[in-house]
Amino acid sequence: MPILQSKCFSCHGEDVQEAEVRLDTLSIDFVNDRASVQTWQEALNALNKDEMPPEDGDPLTAKERQLLTNWIRGEIDRAVQMLKSTGGRVVMRRLNRTEYQNTMRDLLGLNMDYARDLPPEGLSPDGFRNNGQSLQMTSIQLEYYLAAARRGLDRIIKTGPAPKVFEHKFDKSNVNNWFNVEIANYLGRSQAFYGKMVDDYPEQGNYIVRVKASAKMAQGAGFPILEVSVGYRPDTKDLWEVTSSVEMTTEDSQVFEFTGRVENHPLPVRGQGKFPGLVVRVRNMYDDYTRKPKQQDVERDGKKQKGYPYEEHMPHIQVEEVEFIGPVFDQWPPALHRAILHESELSAQDEAAYMAEVLERFMSRAFRRPATNAEVMRMVGFYQSIRSEFPSLEDAAIETLAMVLISPQFLYLLEPDSSQKRKLNDYEIASRMSYFLWSTMPDQELLDLAADRRLSKPSVLEQQVTRMLEDERSWRFVNQFTDEWLKLDNINQIAINTDVYQGFNEALKTEMVMETRHFFRELLMEDLSALSLLDSNFAMLNENLARHYGVDGVLGREFRRVDLTDEKRGGLLGQASVLMLGSTGQDSHPIRRAVWLRDRILNDPPAPPPPDVPDLDESNPDFAKLTVREQLEVHRQKESCASCHRGIDPWGIAMEHFDAVGNYREMIRIRHNNEVGEREVVASDVLPDGNELDGMESLKDYLLSKKTDDFANSLVSRMTVYALGRNLELTDQELVDDLTKEFAKSGYKMQTLISEIIASSAFRSK
Amino acid sequence: MTKKSWHLDRRTFLLGTGVSMALPYMESMGANVNASELPKRMCAMYFPFGISLPKEGGDLHKWRWFPNGEGRDFTYNESSKPFEALREKVTIIGGMSHPNGRRMGGHDTGDTFLTAAMLDGKYLHNTVSVDQVAANAIGSDTRFSSITMSTDGGVGEPTRSSTLSYDDKGRPIPALNQPQMIFDRMFGAPDADLKARHRRLRSSSSMLDMVLEDSKSLRRRLGRQDQEKFDEYLASVRQIEQRVKRTQRWLDIPLPSLTDEERDVLKLEADDQAPKEFIRTMYDLIYLAFKTDSTRVATYQIASMADASSKAGPFPFREGFKANLHSLAHGWNKPEGAVALGEWDKFMNEQLAYFLQRLDSHKEGDGTLLDRTMVLHGSSNSTTHNNSNYPLVFAGGSGIGLQHGQFLKVADNVPMSNLFVTMLDCMGVDAPKFADSTGDLTAVRA
Repeated sequence: MPILQSKCFSCHGEDVQEAEVRLDTLSIDFVNDRASVQTWQEALNALNKDEMPPEDGDPLTAKERQLLTNWIRGEIDRAVQMLKSTGGRVVMRRLNRTEYQNTMRDLLGLNMDYARDLPPEGLSPDGFRNNGQSLQMTSIQLEYYLAAARRGLDRIIKTGPAPKVFEHKFDKSNVNNWFNVEIANYLGRSQAFYGKMVDDYPEQGNYIVRVKASAKMAQGAGFPILEVSVGYRPDTKDLWEVTSSVEMTTEDSQVFEFTGRVENHPLPVRGQGKFPGLVVRVRNMYDDYTRKPKQQDVERDGKKQKGYPYEEHMPHIQVEEVEFIGPVFDQWPPALHRAILHESELSAQDEAAYMAEVLERFMSRAFRRPATNAEVMRMVGFYQSIRSEFPSLEDAAIETLAMVLISPQFLYLLEPDSSQKRKLNDYEIASRMSYFLWSTMPDQELLDLAADRRLSKPSVLEQQVTRMLEDERSWRFVNQFTDEWLKLDNINQIAINTDVYQGFNEALKTEMVMETRHFFRELLMEDLSALSLLDSNFAMLNENLARHYGVDGVLGREFRRVDLTDEKRGGLLGQASVLMLGSTGQDSHPIRRAVWLRDRILNDPPAPPPPDVPDLDESNPDFAKLTVREQLEVHRQKESCASCHRGIDPWGIAMEHFDAVGNYREMIRIRHNNEVGEREVVASDVLPDGNELDGMESLKDYLLSKKTDDFANSLVSRMTVYALGRNLELTDQELVDDLTKEFAKSGYKMQTLISEIIASSAFRSK
Repeated sequence: MTKKSWHLDRRTFLLGTGVSMALPYMESMGANVNASELPKRMCAMYFPFGISLPKEGGDLHKWRWFPNGEGRDFTYNESSKPFEALREKVTIIGGMSHPNGRRMGGHDTGDTFLTAAMLDGKYLHNTVSVDQVAANAIGSDTRFSSITMSTDGGVGEPTRSSTLSYDDKGRPIPALNQPQMIFDRMFGAPDADLKARHRRLRSSSSMLDMVLEDSKSLRRRLGRQDQEKFDEYLASVRQIEQRVKRTQRWLDIPLPSLTDEERDVLKLEADDQAPKEFIRTMYDLIYLAFKTDSTRVATYQIASMADASSKAGPFPFREGFKANLHSLAHGWNKPEGAVALGEWDKFMNEQLAYFLQRLDSHKEGDGTLLDRTMVLHGSSNSTTHNNSNYPLVFAGGSGIGLQHGQFLKVADNVPMSNLFVTMLDCMGVDAPKFADSTGDLTAVRA
C-alpha cells in the first residue's frame, strides 16, 4: 500500500512509533493474527473519525482515504468470513419454532399451540431463522419441549369412560352489556352476540359451534364477516381466542359450522368469583376503518337504550340461532388416540410386544425414517422400566412417547455418519425438501418414494416439487421466506404516529404483509417472471388495501389480482409493507429504504456506519426545518460521510414520493416544534455511476435495465440460504453463479429455481 | 390471616419430608430469623444507547443524566430526581466501563454488560455473567437459582442479544418475556395430583439418563461441527436433569402464596404495547420473587441493541414520545433532542424508583428488602455508540455491606468488573476476581 508508505509510516514506521503503533511491520494476516487485526481496526476507526492523519500531518485525499478504509474493512470482513466457515456444510439443525409447531401438529394430528412457551428464535446473519449454526438449544427450551409433548399427549390419549356431552342453543344473548359493546342479534361492527354456559360446559375436547344467520349487504361495501370466538378468562392478556371467521356472500339464511378445541381457548377457572363460565361470542368483523360513531340513546324493539346507531352503509348480520356442542368425538377413545395406541388384542396379552408395535410406527414417523429395531427396543425398555410406577398402560405410554419427542432424532434434522462429505440418502432428502417447502415433516407420499429410493430420480423430483407447491402447506414456505428475506416482521416494531396519519388502523399492517406474501405466491404459482418483484402491472389486493391505495371496485377480504393503472405501485417497492419498513412511523426514512434495497434486493449491503462517528452539527436550529433530503445533503458535505452516503442516499430519495404508510404525496410536511410547513417532494439524485434517479418509476426502470443480474443473484442467494439452512461461503460462488444462470435462462421462473436448488449437489449432500 | 396447613415450623418441615436440605427462608414462618440467615440478593437491569448528556453549563444542562458535584456533596439533575426520596440508598456511578467493551463496536456491547468479555473471533463467544456466578454459588438455596427476563425474550443473536445472562460456558440463557408465564413458573397452580407429579418427575429423570446414555454412540457418528452442536443439546439435558432433581426436592414444599393485594397490583396481561405497565409488571415479578425467596438473583434486559427488530424499540413512541429508542438516543446533545431524551431518561428512572420503593416498603429483619438486595441499573453506552462512562445506578444492600448517598466518579482505568467483585463479595460468594477485575470497589463499601 503506497498510501501507507507515504502518509503513515513517517509517524508509525521504523523510526518513530507514535502512540506505540507501528504499521510497516504490522502483520496483514488478518485471519490468524488477532492482535494485528485489532490494531488495524483501531487505525480504521481513527481514519473514520478523521483523527488520522493529524492536522499537522500530510492530509489524505478523499480518494486515498476511501481506498484505505475500504481495504482495511474488506480484509477484516474477509477474515471474519473465513473464520466463520463451516466448510460449506450444513450444521446439524434443530427444528425452529414454526417447524416444531407444524411437525408436532402433523405428527400428533392435534391442533394446539405447542410452541407457546418456547423462547423466540435468533436470526442468522442473513436474517433467516432456520440456520443450524444460529439455532441454539438450551435447557429451558428442552424443558418446554417435554412439557409440550406431555400436554399434547395428555389431550390425545384417554383413559376412563367417555365424557358427558353438553349442548346449548341460544336465540338471544344471555349476558348484559359487556366491554362497551352493544348486545344484539343484528350485528354491525359495534355489536356482538354472547351465549354463556355457566357450569355445564366441557373443559376438554373438540367442539362445534353452529350459527344460523342471514346477511344484509350494503352498496359499495364488501361482505359481512361472521366471526366466532370462545372464552373467556378475565385478567389475562387474551380474553378470547377466535375459532375462525367466514365471509357471508349471500343474504339468505344459512347455517355456518365452526369447529375447535376447547383447551385452545382461554378458559374461565370454575368457581372463581364473578366470572360466569364458558362464553361463545359472535361478531361481524367487517370494518371500513372509518371513524366509529359514539354510544348514544337508540331505539331497540320499541324501547330506548344505550347503543350504537346502525350504520346502513355497512353490511350487517342477523343472528337467528347459535348452537354449541362439545366435546364431540366419533367414538371413545377418539380417533387420534387410536391412531397412536391402535386397537389390538396384544395390548392385554403382552404389553411389551404391543408397545413395540406402537413405538415402531410412531418413531418411524417422528424420526422421518424407519426406526431401527435397536431404537425401538431401547424405548420399549424404557417403557418397561417405568411401567410399574404408572397406573395404566396409557399413562406409561404417554411418558414413553414424550421421550421420543425430546430425542435428538426428532428435534434435529440429523444427518449422521458424515465426518466426510457424503451424499444424502432418500429419507434425508425427503426431510430437506419437506422442511424447505412445507416447514414440516415429510408426508406419506415422500416417505414412500424414499423407501422405494425413487426420490433421487429427476423426473420424480420435478413432479414432487410441483405437487408440494400446489399443496396448501407451501404457504408456509411463502410466508417464512418472504417475511425473513424482506424483513417484513419488523413492520410490527414501527409505531405509526396517528397524529400524522389520522385514522390509521394497526390492523392494516397485517394486511400489508399479506399483500406482499400473496404477491410473491402469485408469481410463484403462476410461474411468472420474478422480475415482477421489481415492477409489475398488477397488484394483489383486498378491499381494505385497495381503499388504502385509492383503488376502486375491490370488495371483500380475499386477496386477488388487480390490474394497475398507476405505474408507481407495481412491484415490491410500491407496496405499503416495504415502504413502511423504511419509515420512522412519522415520516419516510430514505436511508433505511436505501439500505434495505441494497441489502435485500441487490445483495450489496453498504458497510455499517463506523463506530464513534462524530454527529453532524445539528445544533443549528434551522437544520430541523430542512426536508430529509436537504439534511442528507448537509450530511454529505462532510467527506468522511460522503464516501459511503453517495452510494446510499439516491436509492432512498427516489422513493420520497411515498410516506410512512405507503401513500403517494406531492408535498412533504415538515414539523418543527409546533410549526407545520409544507415543501414539495424532491425525489431526484445522482448515483455514483452517474445515472440520475428521479422518482419511483425511474428507480424501477433503472433496476430493470441495469440491475437485473444483481437482483437475480440476491434472490438466488437468499433462497439457497433458506433451502440449505446455512450461510453461503466463498466456495458456494460457483453454485450461486450456476443457479443464477439457469434462473435467468428460464425467464426468472421461481419454480425452476426451486427445482434447481433441490437438484443441486449442495442440497443433496452433507 | 388464617393458619394455612403449610404454616409450619422448620422442624416439622424436616420431619415431614424426611429430607435434609437447604430450606427456604420464609417470612411466613414468622420466626425471628437471625440477620445472618436472611437472604442476600442481587439484580441487574439494562437499557441500550445511553442517556442525555448536553453540554455542561449550557442551556440544557438540567437534562444531563449525571448529577452535579461529587461524592456526598451532589445534586440530582432533572431526570434523576425520582431517586431523591431514596437518596441514602442510591449511588450514581460515573466514569466506569468495561475495557474490552471500549474496543468493540458502539452497538455491540449489550451482551457484555454483565460479563466484561471481548466478543470477537469465530463465534463471538461470551463468558459467564456476574449474576450466574452468584446463582451457581448460592442458587441451590432457593426454588430457582435465578430468573432471567427481557422484553424481547429468548437469546437473540450475538452482539444483539436479548438476554443479560450467560452460563459458565458463556452460553446465553434464554430470557422469559411473558409476565403470565413467568408468574406461572413461580406461583402458578401446578397439577393438583401430587402423586402424578412425583411419578412424572421420576420418569423425567430416567428419561434424561437414558437420553444421555444413548447419546454417546450417536455423538460418535457425527462430524466435528455437528458434535459441537450436539454438545449444546447434551449440556441442556444435563442442566434439566439438575433442575428435575432440584424440583423433586421442592415438590413437597408448597409454592409461596401471594396476598390478594399483591395479586391485584400485578398486571399479567401487560405487553410491549403499554411499556410503563409492562416494565412495572416485570419489576413487580422480581419483587415478588425476592419477597417469597423464590430466587435471590434476577436480571432484566429492558431493551436491547437490536433496534429495528426489538419490541422495546418503539417504547418511547408508545409513551407519547416522537421517536423510537435509537433515534431518541441520537439526540443526546442536540437542542430538542437532549430534552426529549432527558424526559425519556426520567421515565426510565421513575420506573426504577418505583421498583426500589417497592423493595424498600417491605420490612425484613431490621431493615427492608431493599437493604438486602443490590440493584444495578445501567447501559453500556453513555451516549449513542460511546462505550465508556456507563450511566450506572447502584442501589440497595446497605444491610449486606454497602453504603450509598453519593455520586461516585471513578477513574477510567477502574474496570466495571471491580464493582462485580464487590457485589459477589456482598453476596457471600468467594470470588476474589471476575474477568478483567483489578480489585474491589471499596468506595461503595460501608
